[in-house]
Amino acid sequence: MNVWERQYRDAAAEITSPGALDEKILKRARQFKPIKRDNNRVLSGIASGCAALAVVVLLIHPAQYLGALTPGQHSTGSAGQAPLNDWQSHRSGSVAAADPWFALRSEVKAGNYLALCQHWRRQQRGKASEQLPRDLENQAREHCRLLQTR
Amino acid sequence: MDARRRESLFHKDFQHLGDEALLEYYHATRNLEAFRQLYVRYKDCLYRYCTQMNFAGAGAILEELWSGLLERPPELRGRLLRTWLFIRTDRLLRNYAGSDPNTPREIPAADNPLLKGLQQLPRIERNILLLHLECQLPLATVADIEKLSLKKCREHFQRGRERLEEILHGPKRQPWRIEEVSV
Repeated sequence: MNVWERQYRDAAAEITSPGALDEKILKRARQFKPIKRDNNRVLSGIASGCAALAVVVLLIHPAQYLGALTPGQHSTGSAGQAPLNDWQSHRSGSVAAADPWFALRSEVKAGNYLALCQHWRRQQRGKASEQLPRDLENQAREHCRLLQTR
Repeated sequence: MDARRRESLFHKDFQHLGDEALLEYYHATRNLEAFRQLYVRYKDCLYRYCTQMNFAGAGAILEELWSGLLERPPELRGRLLRTWLFIRTDRLLRNYAGSDPNTPREIPAADNPLLKGLQQLPRIERNILLLHLECQLPLATVADIEKLSLKKCREHFQRGRERLEEILHGPKRQPWRIEEVSV
């Protein structure tokens, strides 16, 4: 900045915008109301509420605890396995009590026809105390070799 | 107290923002403080420029300029806001349907010989000098505003300066001319 420019700046510094003009322009600016952004706040409130609800539902959902009871998820012999075993044995026990042929039937189902055929032969000879039920008789006819009765 | 603290915080925040960012922020939020900050940055130099170009119309022109800026954001097209403001003011000054801007006007506040001298310059030279000195626009931009070539613009600037020097300090000292004295 040379001397001449500095002289100009010193001289012009006395001229400033009059207060009345400033007031008029700022009054005009005040007519434009500030934009409130409450929508965003409401939206974020709703979003965080939903997220909290989702977390709570995930935590208390019964499906959380199904995995805990699945055998194999836990190491063998853990305390968590006991209730499931009880449940199974209880169930099989109840079925066995309801069906006297349960043991024989489960053997047949597993492909082991020895006991069935023994019972069947005994029945053929008229020595069996109880008659086989129909489905087991059919199985025996299919799978057991008929021995010649002498 | 809390409100005042928040206001001062805002004020401090705005200090860091550039003109363009501040303008964008204002049009996004219509925050009065943002506008005030922008206004304070330019009010004095715009007023000085306007009064020296056209004293009678300065108030009206500045009102029109700022209310236009308040209503809708200006299309800067990559220019600085500073440049835009002075280009717009120059256009408003030209279109101002007042008295002839060529006639020199007295600025009541200016009893300074330099400012008085400036008023005696022709309009184009005064405008170029003021745009360069007061508004700190580069001469290339001033040439664009005046629709002149840069060379022409520089010539006008130099001539204006010389004329002003002359008004202030009298004509340049001429070398003694030795004339043959014919008896």
